[in-house]
Amino acid sequence: MASKVHQITVWARGVVQDKEGRDIANGLAAAAAKEGKFTQAFDNYVDLPDRINVPLRKYARISDEEIEERYEYENAQPEVVIVADATIVKGIDILRGMEKGGTLVVATDRKPDEILKFIPNRELLAQIVCVDAKTICGEQKIDFSGSEGGVDSLGIGQGISAPILGALARGTGLVKLENLDVVVKNKDALHQGHEQAVVQTLH
Amino acid sequence: MFNIPKEKAVPLGCITPAPVGEQPMMITGNWREFRPVLEAEKCDLCMNCVVFCPDACFALDDAGEMVVLNEKYCKGCNICINECAPGALTAAYELDFDDGVVRLDKPF
Repeated sequence: MASKVHQITVWARGVVQDKEGRDIANGLAAAAAKEGKFTQAFDNYVDLPDRINVPLRKYARISDEEIEERYEYENAQPEVVIVADATIVKGIDILRGMEKGGTLVVATDRKPDEILKFIPNRELLAQIVCVDAKTICGEQKIDFSGSEGGVDSLGIGQGISAPILGALARGTGLVKLENLDVVVKNKDALHQGHEQAVVQTLH
Repeated sequence: MFNIPKEKAVPLGCITPAPVGEQPMMITGNWREFRPVLEAEKCDLCMNCVVFCPDACFALDDAGEMVVLNEKYCKGCNICINECAPGALTAAYELDFDDGVVRLDKPF
């Protein structure tokens, strides 16, 4: 019996947050791999075609042993759900498939309670982490580097993905901040996200 | 040119009725980050929003006195705000509202 595979699902906005969403999944997997974990990170095949502002998913998997499922392109039971744009909580059942005791990371300037009121199945959550990624990063340009199979010339974590990854390291033990520090380009935003993240434990 | 069976063929220039219902397979309300909010006093019923909305989300109400927004399908492109002649429409952040929730199982 293989050990537990931690499934992480990232929700982001189509096209405009395509790179940031992918950077969260890739950065998380790359940083966890530095601890000797087995990881997978992949874009979504289900939600395509992705259009501007469509809610879309990116996935990552982390395990202590080699991950057996290679041909499933969807996380059926996400343990951690990351929402790169907070308005997605109104449009999608983001916790679908989650078992009790999960974690939700939201990039928002709002308080955790203001996000929780839009989630009807919030009893599944053990904790919620909110980080104001847009304020930390300032004005963002839309970048298509690495999209649609293109070359990613910018590298992982130039925009809002950096503070979100910092907040994720603060809220969960999936990945260590010093490993993220090696992977993520915008280290300043990464550390600010780690410090400013609001972690609220539920129940 | 086309192999259309005779019983399905229609004469050239035939007028077919426009769809009147909603499209339940393509609900786009969860694309929205900013929604248009109408200031009723400023609206002069110029109908620009009705004409320019790509998803036909604006329509006159039953009394024909005010335009109303269909939040289930408004994807927040905010073209209506650009086109509104009297400037009665403004963009408001979606999390400020409790309504307008379109909670789908899958993105679309």
